[in-house]
Amino acid sequence: MEMDAMVLEHMMNPKNYGSLPTANAEGMGKNPQNGEKVVVYIHVKEDEEKPYIDDIRFQAIACSTTVVAGSMLTEEAKGLTLDGAKNLVNATMQLLEKLPPEDAACSEMVALAIQAAVDTYEKRKSDAEYPSITYQIGGTCTPKEENTNDNTAH
Amino acid sequence: MTTLLIKTHEAWLEMMMAGFMSHTNNRETLLDFSDILFRHFTWLEQEMIRNGEAYDYDRDDIPIKVERLETMLKAVIARLLEIDLQLLGLENKALAERIASDIAYMTSVLHEMNDEVITAFNMSRKLPGITLTQEATDALTIFLFEESYKEYELIMIYNYLKQHSGDAFLNRIFQILIDESFFHLKRFGDMMAKMGILAVPRTIMKEVYQVEDVVGFLKTGIDEELAAKEECRKLSEAVANDNAQLAKFFDFINNQENYHIALMKEALDYYEKVAG
Repeated sequence: MEMDAMVLEHMMNPKNYGSLPTANAEGMGKNPQNGEKVVVYIHVKEDEEKPYIDDIRFQAIACSTTVVAGSMLTEEAKGLTLDGAKNLVNATMQLLEKLPPEDAACSEMVALAIQAAVDTYEKRKSDAEYPSITYQIGGTCTPKEENTNDNTAH
Repeated sequence: MTTLLIKTHEAWLEMMMAGFMSHTNNRETLLDFSDILFRHFTWLEQEMIRNGEAYDYDRDDIPIKVERLETMLKAVIARLLEIDLQLLGLENKALAERIASDIAYMTSVLHEMNDEVITAFNMSRKLPGITLTQEATDALTIFLFEESYKEYELIMIYNYLKQHSGDAFLNRIFQILIDESFFHLKRFGDMMAKMGILAVPRTIMKEVYQVEDVVGFLKTGIDEELAAKEECRKLSEAVANDNAQLAKFFDFINNQENYHIALMKEALDYYEKVAG
């Protein structure tokens, strides 16, 4: 990880770290190889013409690089519509394709957790009890959903 | 009582951070006070367990980026006064009085402390009197962020296990591991402050410390200790050419991990025997 002042600032004071009691959806990104995981909690404001993420938090059982990625990406996602958040995830995944998998894994996990949270939110519109979605990182941009019997975020 | 536990958790960390920031003999007093607040935290936690109250280790962010120690001390005093107020609602009056008495003394000392200019956030990433290559500086920076969080995490995990165990054999092991992690956290926090990159460890996810499979946790923990040893060894090698003293420090931390592993294996054997 290149260590400039901005990265250091995110390491020292990660933005949006912690749980979000008011969340109306959450999702998890997971690295099945080492057990690292990221949970993203979102609160989508629904009383607008276009629902948007008005608050977002994340927690990680992972390395500092993941925390920096979580801090940066959740800052970007805050205020976006659901389509905007999906575009952010896609753009991030495209950028990560240019990196070796071991360097991309941390950011990929965060991006997939955001996507999982957005997808969970959309599923819950028709089924309020829909469990949190977990996506595992892989070599492609297409996330692989974990076995649906075990896709609940803790 | 939940609020009281959270505020005490925050005050403990805030006081410890203030200790790391100090360049004078305020430091020792602040770190001693933080130890006292940690004990308060464990007493309150035990009280909640006795009362059957659910709790966790969640807390709010603790802002610490200040330019003068005085600003930090005012924030700590304000938090201690909040705790003092919360104590009025504590049913265990003996416990409330014990904590209130400590708070009264600590706030009186904090009011009298001399102010200091704080350099713990200047991002200089330089240790006084030591010149490191860029590569070694980056490796040390990452190590300090990773390991300061890890030590805080270990303190909380072993504390949680200890609070929920009535077994003297295991509690002896947990207490040693807590003490060792405190030592490491204080050394790493001290280095982070000197390098201008001091940060409060992030909050811990519940599933990390609310351990259901202790045997599995210990097995993973032993692997993590082995990985930490390897990180210390690499770091020692990376800084050896630049500073022999710093290399010795990381060799020392590396060797301490052997003892942690031995203790964890002892606990693992015991658990497996009990389970078997």
